[in-house]
Amino acid sequence: MAKRDNGLNLQSGSLITRFFIGAFVAFMAVFILGPLVWLALQAFSTTWTFPNLKPDGWTLIWWRRVFETPSMVEAIRNSFITAPIVVLVSAVICLPAAYAAARYNYIGRRVFLIGMFAANSFPKLGLFASIATLFYTLNLMGTMLGVIIIQLLGTIIYMTWIPAAAFAAVPKNLEEAARDAGASKFRVFRGITLRMAAPGILVAMVMSFISAFDEAQGTYLVGSPEIFTMPTEMYSLVLTYPVQIAAVFSILLAVPSVILIGLARKQIIGGQLAEGFQIK
Amino acid sequence: MTTTNTVATKEGFAEVKTAKLSTLGFFMALPPVLLIVLFVGLPIFIAFLFSIGYTSGPNRVISIIGQDVYTKENWWGTAQAYTAVIKDERFWPDFALTMVVTFVSTFVVLVMSMGMGLYQRIKGGKIASILSMLSLVPLFVPVVIAAYAIAQFYNGVGFMRTFMAQFGIDFPVITATRNAIILGTIWTSLPFAILMITSGLQSVPNALIETAQDAGASFMRIVRTILIPLAFVPIVIAGTFTAIGIMGSFTVPLFLGPNQPTMLGVEISNFFTAYNRPQQSIVMAFVIFAAASGIAVLYIWANIRSAKQSGRI
Repeated sequence: MAKRDNGLNLQSGSLITRFFIGAFVAFMAVFILGPLVWLALQAFSTTWTFPNLKPDGWTLIWWRRVFETPSMVEAIRNSFITAPIVVLVSAVICLPAAYAAARYNYIGRRVFLIGMFAANSFPKLGLFASIATLFYTLNLMGTMLGVIIIQLLGTIIYMTWIPAAAFAAVPKNLEEAARDAGASKFRVFRGITLRMAAPGILVAMVMSFISAFDEAQGTYLVGSPEIFTMPTEMYSLVLTYPVQIAAVFSILLAVPSVILIGLARKQIIGGQLAEGFQIK
Repeated sequence: MTTTNTVATKEGFAEVKTAKLSTLGFFMALPPVLLIVLFVGLPIFIAFLFSIGYTSGPNRVISIIGQDVYTKENWWGTAQAYTAVIKDERFWPDFALTMVVTFVSTFVVLVMSMGMGLYQRIKGGKIASILSMLSLVPLFVPVVIAAYAIAQFYNGVGFMRTFMAQFGIDFPVITATRNAIILGTIWTSLPFAILMITSGLQSVPNALIETAQDAGASFMRIVRTILIPLAFVPIVIAGTFTAIGIMGSFTVPLFLGPNQPTMLGVEISNFFTAYNRPQQSIVMAFVIFAAASGIAVLYIWANIRSAKQSGRI
């Protein structure tokens, strides 16, 4: 468990260091938040004339425009169908493997983890191009199933590594003690192992959802022109619609991630994510 | 030949015995492995065969559609597609740009996250929390939005130019330059590196730092001899993942970079769809893969080193 705010007060800050730290915080605020705030403001502006600091007027018309455009509503709907399915399928496929990686010593365990990592170092776009070749043969191009498979691939690394570390962290003697006290195997798993590993599994699910929800390149290559999700809609939207529409769509696209990470923030910062990426 | 074989089998057998082989565990681990083999391993293997000129079987359709496809002439294939890419005048500027962006961005990301991680570890307090919250924001934001927002921020009518214009300063348009790609990749890569490094530094026991402090060690010395060595593996993981991610990135250079030269990730897409030269596109993917594998070795080495130190191997 990482404790926060456990500073040691090694140095007492002089005025100059304080100034530099203040300047750095200000720089980070502009660097990180600036682009987001600037884009968000566009979603509510009529027009914006350079070099005015304020837009020419405020309006909500772009929001209505987005919800009146069938292709955008369709993209929103598709995103909310595929991403939850991907998370569920990924959990069913990967969680047993994560448990096995933590509890059993099967042949090639390390090979499995390293292979997973090697797969991750092949450039995404090259992989998607290769998969597209295979999907043509399998008739999966432009289908929902093809999109789900593409998005599923990106979640595997989260759904195996993070829960594996969480399962491994459950003390074995706790499970054994419960067994000695007469609890059934299933009860021990449900009541102790699963409950103690729950934060890790939660982080894995959140990361998987975001990964699936935000996946753009592969979905675009496999899904278009039949299936558009919110991120792939962005690619074409940026070119053909005014910036205000793209801004509205960006806000909508960011909402699920903000909510989910907000919910799991404590666990993510608490080291569940970092724990998961070390091969043990 | 036979002797080495027996030795190998003997060793393998001994290993299996000590490892307490579990059939159940093996089958539980199988589904994701199968998925990876089927939809990552197999496509990459087929693509590799395509890149060296095997144009029949699963590569038949793409070989008919694509232009400038070289078919194998020897028993092992042909290197003509690779030579064609290397001789292409677009390739080397693209390659150089990819490497420069990867190197510079990874370096800056590591320095920034180590600075913030160390500050949080040693000072703690409100400012440290604000900084770590700020640097995690990009995690919330899909990369498509991030790239678009950054493009809007630094373009001709963006905030930077608008703001500077109030003081009569003509701030340069950064979009469509290499620096914009670097800015964008730093923005998107920060949270992961910060999470890895911060949690690595947090796991260093307080007592160790306090003892060193009592013995009169300076701040820099504590950082150099205690904190960095003990958080070495997370730092290497952060660096390798960041570098590999940046090397293959597509959306950020697409939205923020110049048209020519561009990063290889974008060029893969251009060659595959716009120029209809799938074979060259796949060759470029393997060039990036080779470079990324070099970085991946570092990651595996760091993990093995830490496993040895803690006596797991």
